[in-house]
Amino acid sequence: MSTFIENLVNTKLKNMKTMNNVYEVGYVSKVKDYILEVVGLESVGFYERVVIANHSVGYVTSIGKNSVMIAMLQRTNVIYVGDEVVTTDLDFCAMYSKSAMGHIVDIFGEDRLIGEKFENLIPYMIETPAIPIMERGEVKRPFYTGISGIDMIYPIGYGQRQLIIGDKKTGKTQIAMDTIINQKDHNVICIYIAINKTKKNIRELYDSLMKKGAMEYTLILAAFNDDEPPVSFFTPYAGLSIAEGYMREGNDVLVVIDDLKSHADIHREISLLAGKVPGRDAYPPDIFYTHSRLLEKGCQHKDGGSITILPIVETRGGDITDYISTNIISITDGQLVLSKKNFEKGLKPAIDYGLSVSRLGGAVQEPEMKKLGAVVRRNFLSYLETKEVYQFVNVDEMSQEMQHNLKEGQALQERLLQYKFSPRNPVEIKEHFMEVVGSQL
Amino acid sequence: MSDVFVGKIISISELNVSILVNDEKVKYHDILYAVNNGKRIEFEVAEEDGKVVSAIPFQSVVGLKKGIDVFKAPRGLEIQYSDEILGKVFDSYGNLIDDNKIENISTKNVYSRNVSLEEINLKGGILWTGIKVLDFFAPMQKGYKMGLLGGAGVGKTVLIKELINNVYKGLNSNSVFVGVGERSREGKELYDEMREANLLDKMAVVFGQMGENSAARSKAIFSGLTLAEYLRDEKEQDVLLFIDNIYRHVQAMSEINAELSRIPIENGYPANINTAISQVEERINSTEKGSITSFQAIYIPADDITDQAVQTITTHLDGQIVLDRKVAEKGLYPAVDVFSTQSKLIDIEKIGERHYQLVEEALRYYSRYQELEEIIAVLGIEELSISDTNVFYRTRKLRNYFTQPMFVAENYTGIAGEFVDIDDILDDVENILSGKYDDYDEINFLYIGKFNGR
Repeated sequence: MSTFIENLVNTKLKNMKTMNNVYEVGYVSKVKDYILEVVGLESVGFYERVVIANHSVGYVTSIGKNSVMIAMLQRTNVIYVGDEVVTTDLDFCAMYSKSAMGHIVDIFGEDRLIGEKFENLIPYMIETPAIPIMERGEVKRPFYTGISGIDMIYPIGYGQRQLIIGDKKTGKTQIAMDTIINQKDHNVICIYIAINKTKKNIRELYDSLMKKGAMEYTLILAAFNDDEPPVSFFTPYAGLSIAEGYMREGNDVLVVIDDLKSHADIHREISLLAGKVPGRDAYPPDIFYTHSRLLEKGCQHKDGGSITILPIVETRGGDITDYISTNIISITDGQLVLSKKNFEKGLKPAIDYGLSVSRLGGAVQEPEMKKLGAVVRRNFLSYLETKEVYQFVNVDEMSQEMQHNLKEGQALQERLLQYKFSPRNPVEIKEHFMEVVGSQL
Repeated sequence: MSDVFVGKIISISELNVSILVNDEKVKYHDILYAVNNGKRIEFEVAEEDGKVVSAIPFQSVVGLKKGIDVFKAPRGLEIQYSDEILGKVFDSYGNLIDDNKIENISTKNVYSRNVSLEEINLKGGILWTGIKVLDFFAPMQKGYKMGLLGGAGVGKTVLIKELINNVYKGLNSNSVFVGVGERSREGKELYDEMREANLLDKMAVVFGQMGENSAARSKAIFSGLTLAEYLRDEKEQDVLLFIDNIYRHVQAMSEINAELSRIPIENGYPANINTAISQVEERINSTEKGSITSFQAIYIPADDITDQAVQTITTHLDGQIVLDRKVAEKGLYPAVDVFSTQSKLIDIEKIGERHYQLVEEALRYYSRYQELEEIIAVLGIEELSISDTNVFYRTRKLRNYFTQPMFVAENYTGIAGEFVDIDDILDDVENILSGKYDDYDEINFLYIGKFNGR
């Protein structure tokens, strides 16, 4: 008994000496990869930031009857069972400074190129409450990507969420980059959120944007593959929180999330490790909400600002009907499907015009473009279908009307091709396509 | 009645808070609350285990701590139950979220009503929607429950908006719109459009959209049902109930189920999925006092129509309209799959012999067309017999004919919407199938109202 009391007194004394007595101290009782079980923390808050063994950082993911679970955010050294865990009385927040614009940063406010933190870091809540329905305005201002297949046929408006979906190597990131580059001189703040990208990928992206002069108004918020998985999980939320800050100041913000399939996989990994019940394809049952609350941050605010989101999803074998893809399609305001076949045939951008959708369509186009887009879309889709069904029919035996349609379709197809980094402005697009269908308007 | 102290919080996770209760009696569906840093957080009791109660938080629990005092609210979840509901927008918990105010507050518990077998009334006349493919293949009757099934992005919401436009405006009756787990943008647009068209005065709206947590998404439906019941039971009216989207209700239940660490069935659905859906669907019924006619959008996850939740919901319905990605891909909207679309009204005694026979005939053409498509892919059209060639071209015309410009999609397509009478539909279909329109090119049938030999 006396040794017990002695130990108790010694621990208290030691804590006082290290100033830890200001905050509560607990001990690691279990280490499971990046999830820790900690005993002894009685009055810690849900989501509170904690420091482990004076070198690593984590946050509280759940509070149990006798222990709390901690997910690691930064680990600089080995963690042993019995290590001290100190509370901080602070909610876990992302740190961001406005002077980080133009750099590659992480959610802790560090410049990832030079490894130093920015000054004047401000805490940003990782998850802000949903933007109330009555604060939302109508999505109607056209947002130009500079790609005719998008601006004319499947248009995007400020505040729209448009998914870019396709297999590996079909040009998904390229479309996002082209869109960012096209925002030059349009007063749009661009945030590129990289999840599960290799360092090489991120470096290449940075260099390309730099070369095109687009980094001036772009922030790359990156979680590396070798960061702790909870960091990758939180990065898009932090990104949208930063975007919301800019929006509430009245700015237009473009957010690219590259990519959400990896994000879903990370969420699955963390949930299964934490012992949560799996659902379809072993994803946790809240996987829909994981993405819906994130993408619902995209909106046209009634007071002026907006957040336009281009999330990216990678598919396999061109199948856009798998669980995660359909979930995200059911959240976004449309999807731009990229087809491997088109890419291989050299039809770039490799947009699959049959499967792509913009739910806002003409509502975000100016009248002339809307009229033109409707005609081009209808004729081009009908051309693609006719081409398939009648591929065995001799062209000379077709009706005049059908021959004309086929010819027109081919002309449209040629004009829809566009090489990377060669944006077209709306006037150019209109001129270019009026030549083909102008008589039908 | 002042609020009573019932116990203290002993464990916290994102959607589940355990409370150790004292001697106070706490029951299922009671509302408890705690105050943390000046912020009030409410919970609803979901499970009791001796002295420990599991409750689902309505608000975010960030910063919540163990040991905080918990009180019991005097009443459970309630919503306004009077004429004041019309023209108002509520959240899932019955709070107003537009700028309106309610003067005379008179509320009712959202879980209170059940309809007995004796009360149920099956009578009702046919309700034409003016949408060709719906009125032809899946006509609707007053008091029916019609499901609108579809995977992601095939046009469920546009169709439900068109139905609101055609049926609600035409019928001039009161209605309730419940938005469950769908896009906030669309919810706001619907609200704005209704307000601009001065149609909001007969409608009550409840939103628990996809940006909100699973508690909100799982309660919206109960609040909405209570509003519809008010209009039926107290005002004795025929009510239109639009639910977009009932699948999201089940999805929210799954999330809660997982947080309560209950064992799920396939794909993570709660084991009590049947009971949970019945609790909702059995309340949507018509009585002698009034009818509830409902259109329910049902999301098909991963394009898998055999999904447990989808199948469980559809057992409660009187008809279903299935939207298909393969049709949407061809640019044919509404992208209806005619084979799995059905209604209890397709019966000689109910819609008459002519309509019935035409549906049968049309389906015969469609199914032969499907077979022919495969043959043509190998042999080409020239190799078909004359009768098959006719089937091929006429079905393509029919398929195009069943597309329709929609009022609510005018902004998108640039074509004005059209409401088509059933008599015109039957005439046109008869003429297409009989070969009277063989000389017209199929493109003439695309996105029109009635054909009428134009």
